[in-house]
Amino acid sequence: MNALITESTRLRKVVGDSPRRGKRSQSPLERQHRRTFWPFAAPALILYTVLFLVPIGFAAYTSFYKWDGLSPMKDRGLNNYRILWRDPVFHTALTNTLEILIVGGVVTFALALALTMVLREMRHRLFARSVLFFPTLVNAMVFGILAGFLFSPSGPVNEVLHWLGVRTPPQWLSTDNLLPMVMGTLIWTATGFYTAIIMAGVDQIPQYLYEAAELDGCNAWQRFRNVTLPMAWDVISVCAVLWTVSTVNIFQLILVFGGTSAGGLPPSNSWNTAVYVYGEAFPQQGAPELGLATAAALVTLLLVAIVTVLLRRVLRRERIEY
Amino acid sequence: MTIALPTRGRSSRRKKTGPAVRIGTWLVWLVVAADIGLLLWTFASSLRGSNAVLNHPFGLPTSPKIGNYAKALSDGGFGRAALNSIFVALASAALVVVVAAPCAYVLARRRTRTTSALTMMFVLGLGVPGQVLVIPLFVGLSKVNLTDSLYGLILVYVGLALPFTVYLLTGFFAGVPAVLEEAAVLDGAGPVQTFVKVIVPVARGGLITAFVFQVINGWNETLFAIVLLHSQDKITLPVAMVNFLATEQYSGQDWGVMFAGVCILLAPMLALFSWIGSRIIQGMTVGIGK
Amino acid sequence: MVSTSKTSRRVLGIATAAALALGMAACSSTSTTAGSGGAKSGDSFTYWSMWNKTEPQAKVLQSAITAFTAQTGIKVDVTWAGRTVTKQIGPAVAAGDPPDLWDQNAGTVLSTLGSEGQALDLTPVLGMTVPGENVKVGSVIPAKYLTSQPKDSDGTSNYVIPYEVTAEGIFYNAADPNIKAAMPTPPTSWAQFISVCAALKSKSEPCIASEGEDSWTNGLYLDYELLANGVNWSALAADRTGAAWDAPGVATAVNDMDQLVSGGYIVPTYTATKYPAQETNWANGRAGFYMDGSYVTAEVSKEIPATWRTGMILPPGVTQADAGTFGFSIPKKAKNISAAEQFIAFFMQKSQLAGISTVADNITSRPDIAAPPELAAVQQALSAPTLRVDFSNTIPSDYYNKVYNQNFLDFWHGKLTAAQFIAKMKSDQIAYWQTQG
Repeated sequence: MNALITESTRLRKVVGDSPRRGKRSQSPLERQHRRTFWPFAAPALILYTVLFLVPIGFAAYTSFYKWDGLSPMKDRGLNNYRILWRDPVFHTALTNTLEILIVGGVVTFALALALTMVLREMRHRLFARSVLFFPTLVNAMVFGILAGFLFSPSGPVNEVLHWLGVRTPPQWLSTDNLLPMVMGTLIWTATGFYTAIIMAGVDQIPQYLYEAAELDGCNAWQRFRNVTLPMAWDVISVCAVLWTVSTVNIFQLILVFGGTSAGGLPPSNSWNTAVYVYGEAFPQQGAPELGLATAAALVTLLLVAIVTVLLRRVLRRERIEY
Repeated sequence: MTIALPTRGRSSRRKKTGPAVRIGTWLVWLVVAADIGLLLWTFASSLRGSNAVLNHPFGLPTSPKIGNYAKALSDGGFGRAALNSIFVALASAALVVVVAAPCAYVLARRRTRTTSALTMMFVLGLGVPGQVLVIPLFVGLSKVNLTDSLYGLILVYVGLALPFTVYLLTGFFAGVPAVLEEAAVLDGAGPVQTFVKVIVPVARGGLITAFVFQVINGWNETLFAIVLLHSQDKITLPVAMVNFLATEQYSGQDWGVMFAGVCILLAPMLALFSWIGSRIIQGMTVGIGK
Repeated sequence: MVSTSKTSRRVLGIATAAALALGMAACSSTSTTAGSGGAKSGDSFTYWSMWNKTEPQAKVLQSAITAFTAQTGIKVDVTWAGRTVTKQIGPAVAAGDPPDLWDQNAGTVLSTLGSEGQALDLTPVLGMTVPGENVKVGSVIPAKYLTSQPKDSDGTSNYVIPYEVTAEGIFYNAADPNIKAAMPTPPTSWAQFISVCAALKSKSEPCIASEGEDSWTNGLYLDYELLANGVNWSALAADRTGAAWDAPGVATAVNDMDQLVSGGYIVPTYTATKYPAQETNWANGRAGFYMDGSYVTAEVSKEIPATWRTGMILPPGVTQADAGTFGFSIPKKAKNISAAEQFIAFFMQKSQLAGISTVADNITSRPDIAAPPELAAVQQALSAPTLRVDFSNTIPSDYYNKVYNQNFLDFWHGKLTAAQFIAKMKSDQIAYWQTQG
């Protein structure tokens, strides 16, 4: 990930040095950076260690045990991982996680890029951008409440469809459509978010490039293809990584759409790994299986790491200077 | 000069717009209208009676029930909870930016094996599901008497927000030209002075963005708040909301009041956003990935 | 990448070591047992309630607390935590700082504390005298409420002292003319029940309102039908070979249920709504019957018409109602046990407990307190000599989520036939028990 920063030729130029160069040739600035490194980094590192790494380390440790959080831990060796290996529900959850990641990601980024193409050139674009961004700020619980009304069989969505001539509208809220609905909501909220970020990057692209493209007779698509896309590539690839690591952890959205009022979990075909983890750590009835929960979380984390590395391979390229 | 200051000016008249772009524009306005419509409907429902909402969800309030808000604020405990939420969101956001910024700055500036590993460590933290941290954090916090405490919750939020904030800010700081610092150092400024007087003003957009993101997250976070807080005078808004929703089972619900609660949950986000929104959106990525 | 992964492994190692210390400390904290000398004036105890401050149960409990403090001088530090108390109690016990008293339904108490050996055995409370009544707590609360509960890891079912009792059954509006005509007397066989449904359908009133996403309320039909056909649900679920699914009783029960689905007797939109859409339909007379716990009357009390009269039947063929209890529990690690116990006994007074019926419109755990009039039928069902708990308390929670939930909903939504449902449950159950090693 840090490669993102270190790879940047611009950065290399500004920092003006490579770590291999001898100490003697260090600039005063570089010396200062070296001296101030630990004092500057320490507060964050300490807090991060205490509030994040230690709990995770502890959690990782429990993944080799059977533990309900209250009774003494029982050594289980690799059995928690063996259970995951054999559990068809976990396999479904992994598949769903990947599906949300890839299908949702492709759609979100296709939409976000299409939007940047449109938004760059339209009137009142800041207002439109702000409104599109707003769903990002809304607690997932609210979507769950609203969806029950909006998508009910006689709700407004179906009324609009009826008016458009659709006589057998889909059963939006049926358990079959749970995952598509979750994905739709996710795409709707995430598109606004990533559009905003990518647009901010696009705003930095010098106007004269577009003017030159127009003089060359490029249409909107060509301007997007030849100017926007390459110039905003870095921002897009950062967004892709952000998408990967953040969507893996969505569970509240799935719970509010598919869970029951009494706190029951949605049907297992619609679980992702985060719901699996939640279900094992906070069961509605019965003792928590914290060891199994963390084992599932760690397997997911491994998946995230792999996808992130692959993504970075795919998206890597020389950056463009302007 | 590597960051060419972009020419912000944009010709407001476009000569030719293709049909695809025109359709796209229409679609954008459609979605915008739907979003606004949804907000307005939520607000309208918050002024109606429970049975009216349940049986005719899409009517307008005949006689606006302002009382729904009074009920939500007092009975639902949303008033106190909203204050707690504001405090927690602002304090955790401020704290995380103050802590993460210097760290992100040095991580962006020095490139050694150690810094690479440290950066990687923060980034991987983004992929950890928070649910597995709940029990260990609770046990740890209780050892120092910070459960059922807003300060404890703030600490937890700072920890949870650190990976993202450090990651985001590293990008921003990497985009700040080093020449500025060089000048300051040659003038004899110390490291703290250089950072506060030179770097922070330039990276202000990034710091505000990081701050706002954490305000949003802190405002909406639900799981940790549920587990860590139980006293009625300490709960945050999402917890109040969950509890209020849960009374549907066993006691029945006043849906008008519930929508008033939803509005109370949304209003500060809406206010924050209309105040600072366009600035975040414009400044969001001055440095992201650069 | 290589160097990074090495580093992160090292970091992880350090973190693990640090966390170990933390975890061990957590485990070794010993439970404090309060002296049983009896609490006195000036003492206090903490109480986390499952009710929100504004719910009627909270009002009843609050007035009892006020009276209790006035009489005994013991202060009660009460938190109206609401239902989230379920998620808070476990961590609080893990951290060694739980409340001295809390309440929830017995199944939740069992799953959060009881099954981990963290719920105090409240048998001594049953031997305490109810203040002002000169009788023991154990003699005013029928033993069947306690013995019907599954035992906790200490082997007792007295981990909850109930103050509110519910029963699960099929609820309807006895004043609905269509139902009056279709069902002059409660059906005694499943075929009769189906013909009641058919009669309602012919009047274009859907027979059954059902929240399609909920495998618990709808699963109660299966729970009862299995019972009616002599099948033990928890033994069925526990069979590692899956062979128990081949029993003829299972097929009969599932086929009975299938008649509801394939006969079109369920509200047509049931697969496409979210709770409480169908409950609302039912309360507004757009469907005949609704399966739920008896608290459903409180849930819909603001929606039903003035003419409404609640009736309840059990599915034909069963005599034992699924009963649920709500009551007090004390964590073993509580610090002021005797004060909390004293309050439990105090609340069992007729004068205090009556509020659960008169104010909160629910049935109390004391049979000598009259049920709210609309729940007379439920109290009748609860007066049976023995009671049972519903299947969610007796089949493993993990099994419920991973095997039962999805398959049952597919069946209930008509996507699996009765035979397919049985086959799928059987194969998934075998796979499930294999993963459990």
